[in-house]
Amino acid sequence: MKKLKTELRFFSISAWKKEEKYLRDQHKNGWEFIGVNGLCLYHFQKCEPKDMVYQLDYNPDSTSQQSEYIQMFRDCGWEYLQNYVGYSYFRKAASEMDGTEEEIFCDDASRLDMMKRVFIGRMIPLLSIFLLVIIPQIIMQSRINDPFNHSLMVFFCILFVLYLGIFISFAIPFWKYYKAVHKK
Amino acid sequence: MDRHIRKVYVPMTETGFYILLCLREEAHGYSIVKRTEQLTQGQVKISPGTLYGSLSKMEKDGLIKFVREEEKRKIYCITELGTQVLDLEMKRIERLYKSMKEAT
Repeated sequence: MKKLKTELRFFSISAWKKEEKYLRDQHKNGWEFIGVNGLCLYHFQKCEPKDMVYQLDYNPDSTSQQSEYIQMFRDCGWEYLQNYVGYSYFRKAASEMDGTEEEIFCDDASRLDMMKRVFIGRMIPLLSIFLLVIIPQIIMQSRINDPFNHSLMVFFCILFVLYLGIFISFAIPFWKYYKAVHKK
Repeated sequence: MDRHIRKVYVPMTETGFYILLCLREEAHGYSIVKRTEQLTQGQVKISPGTLYGSLSKMEKDGLIKFVREEEKRKIYCITELGTQVLDLEMKRIERLYKSMKEAT
């Protein structure tokens, strides 16, 4: 029976680079990723420490042709692990990469395309909540002079800051890739 | 050729160029990767995420078309529009090369 462990980790929508590094570091320390489920519960099992590169793709279109999608990655040496809220998880041993650090994307244009897919699939719903619920609530609650409404307003202000943080952490790398692709 | 195609594909990415170049013959994704490595002595390695995204986009834009499926691998081929775009790109690269030679 292999030793198992579970960790609770929250990564914001645009933080897949951090998540990839987290999984790689775990594997280096002898914990092989076996899956993520529920609310950000990461499961691992004890293994020989190894440098394993983890990569995430977000491609909701691919679910209709899942087997061709996975086959293409497998042909290139990437093992498919699972799908979690639209993200596909892949890994490949660094020792199989003849010296260069391989990624599942090889140019900024395709990295920007992935960010656009994440924007449509994950950010637009959040932006709608932000514009249609959070901002109107802050304005409404601030007009009523009552302790209960004040605490509600504080609650929505906290959400406002939180959401703003998510948008900014998405916008910065997006802008970076956008500039790199459209400088021509 | 409409403005959208010109805007997106002229000039095109290196990956896009090699995909169209290889698809003058029928081929599936991984054979494009292998052929490109061969042509460039291993200097251009197309990654699967980039490849999958480019193939879907090019199929949607009508530059390539799906031919058939073999063992879970989709086989594609260039279309008339794809050939026109590739020709434009080849002329552009030839011009670049000529200017480079003349200027040095």
